[in-house]
Amino acid sequence: MAQYLPVLALLVLAGLFAGLSFVASKIFAPRNPTAEKLAPYECGITPGRDLPERFPVRFYLVAMLFVIFDIEIVFLYPWAVNYQELGLFGLVSVLIFSALVFESFVYLISKGALDWGPLQVSRRQDPMRSADRTTASTVRRVGQDGRTVTVLDAGVAAEEAGSGVAA
Amino acid sequence: MSLLALGEPYLSDGVDLGDVVLTVVKVVVAFVVLLVSVMLMVWFERKVISRLQNRIGPNVAGPFGLLQTLADGMKLFFKEDLIPERSDRFVFQLAPYLSVVPAFLTFILVPIAGDFSDGKDGSVSIAGRQFFLQVADVPVGILFFLAMSSIGVYGVMLAGWSSGSKYPLLGSVRASAQAISYEAALGLSLASVLLISGTLSTNEIVQVQAGEGFRGIIPNWNLITTGFVPFGIFLIAGTAELNRPPFDMVEAEQELVGGFHTEYSSIRFAMFYLAEFMNTVTMSAIIVTLFFGGPAGPNFGVLPGWLWGFVWFFLKLLVFLFTFVWFRATLPRLRYDQLMDLGWKLLIPLALGWLMILAGIRVAQSGGFGITDSTQVDTGIVLVVGLAIGVVAALLLSSAVRTSRQDRLHRHGLVEVAPVFELDGGAPAGEGHH
Repeated sequence: MAQYLPVLALLVLAGLFAGLSFVASKIFAPRNPTAEKLAPYECGITPGRDLPERFPVRFYLVAMLFVIFDIEIVFLYPWAVNYQELGLFGLVSVLIFSALVFESFVYLISKGALDWGPLQVSRRQDPMRSADRTTASTVRRVGQDGRTVTVLDAGVAAEEAGSGVAA
Repeated sequence: MSLLALGEPYLSDGVDLGDVVLTVVKVVVAFVVLLVSVMLMVWFERKVISRLQNRIGPNVAGPFGLLQTLADGMKLFFKEDLIPERSDRFVFQLAPYLSVVPAFLTFILVPIAGDFSDGKDGSVSIAGRQFFLQVADVPVGILFFLAMSSIGVYGVMLAGWSSGSKYPLLGSVRASAQAISYEAALGLSLASVLLISGTLSTNEIVQVQAGEGFRGIIPNWNLITTGFVPFGIFLIAGTAELNRPPFDMVEAEQELVGGFHTEYSSIRFAMFYLAEFMNTVTMSAIIVTLFFGGPAGPNFGVLPGWLWGFVWFFLKLLVFLFTFVWFRATLPRLRYDQLMDLGWKLLIPLALGWLMILAGIRVAQSGGFGITDSTQVDTGIVLVVGLAIGVVAALLLSSAVRTSRQDRLHRHGLVEVAPVFELDGGAPAGEGHH
């Protein structure tokens, strides 16, 4: 266990550093708590409702899935370090094991265990977002009215000014 | 190699007073290096982001604003430390420790210097004691890294939970789900590295990478020997694990104010901030160690060998520190469902499949299959079969995703009417949001 001596030393040092920082803050910092300061932060609104006590079950599902994969990792590491000695036998064992985990993983996904957020429902093309509408067709060039009259045919210019769309 | 031979030479046969003194010196040096590097990292990040946004950034405190972080840190000592009335006082005060202590401890794994050329093991000797230029070469190595990053999640989770406030709670639940999701991908991509290196010790992983590479020109880095994909997965999962942009859902300020540390002020906030940047520095260092050969590099003389190791390590480290800042400056934040989909439905299966194919190839190369007389033909057969299985697995997975989507549509009484993505590069036709 002597190899872990530096880890212990650094653990003590880091703990001391954090602890002493808190002591220093206790000494230097002012102390003037008011009801407003101690209230939970709600962007300036008076906090009314209590905290939610329930969570979407998906978070728990993710945690359980993580445990499965973490166990898989724990089993894979010793094999990965020693795969040369274990050879084909080790490889086939790990393949079977991974296939089993993968198979249940696929089942979970097909059951929607890892679907998040609102359903992205596709819709038909919105006419407001059609390809015909470009910056050239929807943005009015301010300041061109009246200037182009001398160059263009008077009738066209009048029509343009009337429709409010620059060509 | 036997398990007893692992680790620091000077600690392997009993501990006397000199060993303890050496340990304390190493730990204190590492501690100071870490704190200074965090100070410089915060400055570096602010400065680089400023430049990328056409600003100047901090330039008043000290030369080039180098002392800005120190000034900010000092200021926080003099700020009022509030514990919200609805909080769980004990856990609220414990959480910063749980965040900052693992951040310190992860750094022990990083060999920051040492001479690895010509098969040397990177050790130096002073007064008859041989040691590595890293805090501790623990036999469990990489497992220690995973353990510490798991404990770091507790800090974030408990901080948000104990605050007794809405936004921190939401931030911490998101954070823990995100962190554990990407930890699975991180662990699986690491398995490829272990497969190539055949050891958990970071010092030995560097030694393996210091060996002769392809044709003597291309380095024998794990980046190349594991085939680039594990590195990509590790980089993405590492960024998510650090809660850094584009994966900073934890403190998405537009939705969650400050995320899990909204209610923290004064020195407690400083501890979370310190842990965050310390983790960034350590993660960059771990990436360099695992995939880019750490301190291994050519030795051009003039300087002592171990110092060349430091030069190479530092240069490689800078690249990744800059990369993380670059990510933050350029990439927009992901949506939470996109984040979870990327982690679970792409990175984890890809990492697992890549590991299996890599293992198959390695076993075939060492003649483990014996299908034909030539190991090269064997390798080819294994590669083809492996890729075929991979394609089947990918098809299975995508059909599972489709099934779940159809089920959801069916439950809501909806029918798919048009492709989800337009071909002309438009936004997905969502529920009326653009």
